This record gives sequence, C-alpha cells and structure tokens, in this order.
Amino acid sequence: MGLPLQYAVRNLLRDPSRLAQTVAGSGLVVLLVMGAQSLNHGMRETLRASGSPRTVVLLGAGSEESIQRSEIADRAAGIAEASIAGIETVAGRRAVSPEIQYMTPLHAAGRLRRSGFLRGVTPAALLVHPDVALIDGRFHGPGEVIAGRLAWKRLGVRPEDLRPGSTIRFDNTDLTVSGVFAAGGTVMESEIWADLNDLRTLARRETLSCVMIRLQPGADPADAELFTRQRLDLELSAMTESAYYEQLARFYAPVRALTWLTAALIAVGAVFGGLNILYAAFASRIREIGTLQAVGFGAPALVASFIQESLLAAMMGTLFAGFAATALSDRLTLYFTTGAFTLSLTPVGAAAGLAAGLAMGLVGAIPPAIRCLVPPLPQALRAA
Amino acid sequence: MNPTDTPLIRCRDVRKSYRKGETLVTPIESLHLDVPRGEFLALMGPSGSGKSTLLNLMAGIDRPTSGVIEFDGQPIQDLSRGHLAAWRARHVGYIFQLYHLVPVLTAFENVELPLLLDPMPRRERRERVEAALALVGLAHRMHHFPRELSGGEEQRVAIARAIVANPPLLVADEPTGDLDRDAADSVLGLLRALSRDHRRTIVMVTHDPRAAAVADRVLHLEKGRLLEGAR
Ligand SMILES: Nc1ncnc2c1ncn2[C@@H]1O[C@H](COP(=O)(O)OP(=O)(O)OP(=O)(O)O)[C@@H](O)[C@H]1O
Ligand SMILES: [Mg+2]
Repeated sequence: MGLPLQYAVRNLLRDPSRLAQTVAGSGLVVLLVMGAQSLNHGMRETLRASGSPRTVVLLGAGSEESIQRSEIADRAAGIAEASIAGIETVAGRRAVSPEIQYMTPLHAAGRLRRSGFLRGVTPAALLVHPDVALIDGRFHGPGEVIAGRLAWKRLGVRPEDLRPGSTIRFDNTDLTVSGVFAAGGTVMESEIWADLNDLRTLARRETLSCVMIRLQPGADPADAELFTRQRLDLELSAMTESAYYEQLARFYAPVRALTWLTAALIAVGAVFGGLNILYAAFASRIREIGTLQAVGFGAPALVASFIQESLLAAMMGTLFAGFAATALSDRLTLYFTTGAFTLSLTPVGAAAGLAAGLAMGLVGAIPPAIRCLVPPLPQALRAA
Repeated sequence: MNPTDTPLIRCRDVRKSYRKGETLVTPIESLHLDVPRGEFLALMGPSGSGKSTLLNLMAGIDRPTSGVIEFDGQPIQDLSRGHLAAWRARHVGYIFQLYHLVPVLTAFENVELPLLLDPMPRRERRERVEAALALVGLAHRMHHFPRELSGGEEQRVAIARAIVANPPLLVADEPTGDLDRDAADSVLGLLRALSRDHRRTIVMVTHDPRAAAVADRVLHLEKGRLLEGAR
C-alpha cells in the first residue's frame, strides 16, 4: 500500500497559484494539440473531398497553381467541346462548363462583408459538378445567384441572410439569392454561384478562368492534355480536378507542418514550464519526502504519489481544454484561397488531446521526482 | 531468547566518512557499540561530533563506509536503499528535533502513515492510530493539522507516529531541542514511560543533561569516538 490519494490532492491545493499555472500550462498544451489536429484534419478533408479524377480543368498555361489567376479565351470552351473525346453527355448536353472564379468583397445583410468566392457559371455547371444539388429554391437566372450551404459562414452573416429571396450586392448591383446548394462537403459549399454573363460584366473581364469538363467513365484525361498540345494557340494547360486539389494540398503541406511545428514548440515550452513548476513544488518538500522515506516509504510509493499529483493537475487542464475546445468547435472558420473550412473537435482530436494530457501527467512527474529522490536521505532530512 | 544475550544493536569497527570537496570528513571512526534490548541510551557530545551520523547509521537511514552494524543479529550495512526503506518500516521509529510532521495531513493521518506500508484492515488501523494518540495524550486533537498544534503537541504526534507500528527501536535526534521546559518534560516523560512500561529500546541524541538524566546510560561522542559517561 502506498500514500493515500488525499496526500496528493492536498499537496496540489497547497499552493493555488502553482496549481493554476500547472493546470493552465497543461490545458494550453492539450488545446494546442486538439487545435492543430483539427486544423490539419479540416484542411486535409476539405482538399481531399474536393476533386474528381473524371473532371478535367482547362486553365491558362502558367497558372496551374491557381484557377483564379488563370485567364483563357472565351472560345476555348467551344473548341474544347468539339475536340476532346469522351466528354460526358447528359440528356443530350455536353458536360462542359466555362467558369469565372472571382474573389471579391460582397455586401450581404446590409453591409460590406469579407471577400466572397464567386463562380460565374452556366447551367452546364451542374453536369460537370454532380456533387452539387440544390437544397432550397431553384437554379439562378440572370441577376440571381445561388449560395453554397456554408457561404454565410465565409461572409460572416447568419444563415438566413443567404436564404432564397435575400440579396447580396457586388459593386452597385444587387443580386437576388434564388437557391441554396450543397456540394457533398467540398470547398464549393462556401462559394456563391452567379450567372456567367453577369459576372463577366460585373468583373469587367472578357476571359474565362477555366473550362471544366466531365469525362465519361473510362475516358482518358490524357486526351484533354493532348488537345492542349495540339492547340498551343489557346495557351491551355489541362489537369484533372483531383490533381489540381492534390497540388493545392501539397502546397498547403508546409503550412500544415508549420502548424504542427508551432503547436509543438509552444507545447514544449509549456511542458518545460510545467516541469519547472512541478520541480519547484517537489523541491520545496525535500525534507518531507525524506521524512516519508525515513518512515519507510520507498521510491516507488513516492513516485506513484508524485504521478498522482501531476496527473490530477494535467487532467484538470485537459478537462478545461476539452470544455474550451467544445465551446470553440464549429465556431472558428478558416479561409484559404480555394475555400473555407470550420475547425471542429473530432474524436481523433479529442483522443489526441487526452493522450497528450495523460502523457504530460505520467511523464511530467518523473524528472522532478528523480531529482527529489536522488539526494542521500540524511541530507534530505536536514534540508530546510 | 534471553534479552541480555544478544544486544539489539551491535556496531563493530564502524567508520563513516564523507567527501567534502577535496577533504575527507570522518565523523565516525573505529566505533564499537552494543545497545541491549530495552535500554534507553542517551548520546551526548559537542556539535559536529557525529551524534546524528551515528543515529542515522543505527536507524538504517545511512550506511557505514566500513564496519558491521547488526540489528537483532542481522547485518544491515549492505542492504540496498530500497530494502533499507522496507527494513526501517518494520524496525525503526524516528523522532526528529523539528517533528517533521507532514503539514497537509492531520494528526491522525500522520500517525497512520507507517501502518499504510502493510496491508491491514482499515478498522484495525484506526484502532491502533487512536491508541497511539491516546498514549501520547492527544486523542482529542486527532483531526487537527500540524499548524493547529503547539510544538510540544507536534512532537507528541511524532512520537505516536514513531511507535504506532510497534518497531523494536526508537531513535530520537534532540527530541526536546526545540521545546520549552514544560513541553520537553512531557516528551521526556513519555519516552521514559515507553522505556519503562513498554520496554522499548530507545537511542536518543541530546545536548540537554536533563534529558540525558532520563536515560539508563549516557555515552559521549568525542571526535567520532565513544567515551562512557558518568551517570
Ligand atoms: N552529508 C554530509 N556530507 C559531508 N559532511 C557531513 C555530512 N553529514 C555530516 N557531515 C559532517 O559530519 C560531522 C558530524 O555531523 P553530525 O550531524 O553527525 O554531528 P552532530 O554531532 O549531530 O552535531 P549537532 O550536535 O550539531 O547536530 C560534521 O562535521 C558534519 O559537517
Ligand atoms: Mg545532530
């Protein structure tokens, strides 16, 4: 039998400010781990879900890394439709979607909002993006838009501000929301789709951003590539949508690594801070620890009590972090060029946070415990 | 076994030295000492003469540099740190000058500590703790924390902690050194009673001749060597 649990509990309460620091430090680490995991998960999921290998994107040669920066001639759509083999046909219509992708600040719910992601499309867009389905209202006509299910988050308004019947303003033109669409969890859900011709006028551009083409199952995307090499005059480059997003994901890989690194650095700082506090807590009790040894408690019993103590503090921190993460979950939305995603506490994130808390509690007590148990007993008993 | 036959503690040619930087300090040198069972022995001597060092060697707190220390016929000088801890739990109750009670534990919980080292029904534990506290006259202060007790009361709680597990040896390092006369008298009375009525073997280090007068035998340490003192 070892030392009673209340010994560890009362030791914790001995110095409330020290306890507060330990709890805050471990809570911070746990929150960071949860946050970093959630950030990476969100980024990965959004980018991963966002591309089909059957959809080919024709975009301006040299602008392969960003559709928004790409400019291609209007006529490219018609030429591509006529030249590329294996284009999907739905109800007699070819799945070829000329698009303008455009980021601009928008007025919504009466005032200027953060920049929205606009996509000018023709009805053919629905053939090319089969994930897109209207969940409210109808497809837009001229002077109208449809809003992605999560576009309100991106604009920082309430969901009802983008329901059918509401308006958004771009420059001095009001556009009426005619419908709301879902897009299978892809980045498109935070976009706003407008009429291609409207957007041409509003954005004052004569070019398209890209042409998206949906191929029949089994068709070879290499045909599209061949086409771009045959029509060098169009200055096109072809890549599948999935390849496009993979490349984006690769682009964001260093960002993801950076978030982990930042989280790790802060965590290491917090862990060392915590160790220091624990060390101070144990060091101030060297004589008492000596007394317990004199009574007959061995190192294992004392280490067990130290671990109980640090584990209790770390679990309190974990609990606070858990509350904080739950409160923040689904409230923080992050934006990057192709879209937005919302930080949410996943089971994996919660488990990672709990594991971090446990690890800190278990391992954190050991170095200070060793340092307190190393001095010879007669010396410990004479300590102040 | 006849108690006078084997002494409880036998020290043979015991030497303890510490390395203090370049120099070697040897507080205990060629020391021979027998402590018979049931004896109340007082150790006196000037400061730095090695009294605490010797007490710690007999209590298994420290190990000699050379020589043999037998407890009940068993050599203890070669036990590992971990084994010594377990050995102390069974054989020694230690009383410190500054009481060394655990501040976050009540008097009851402090006295209970040695009993937590062996499996024992909670009820029996409680009875033994209460009996020990009653013996030192503090049954009514059981649930008080050390900071709520006077020095003399703290030392009596410490004595209860030292005797609760019935160890064959009690050691006390200047147990009255920090107490006023009345509190010291009550602690000494208690130690004498433990010796006379309960036949405990006690080794006590003291500077105070009044304390030494309570003991059966007084030894003087001088530069690491023992001189038999006058009674
Ligand atoms: N851990 C140690 N390292 C080095 N020297 C030590 C150590 N412990 C004790 N000494 C030295 O050994 C000598 C005896 O010390 P000890 O504590 O046994 O004396 P003492 O007789 O109890 O003195 P006091 O009456 O002041 O308590 C002293 O010179 C002390 O400095
Ligand atoms: Mg001393």
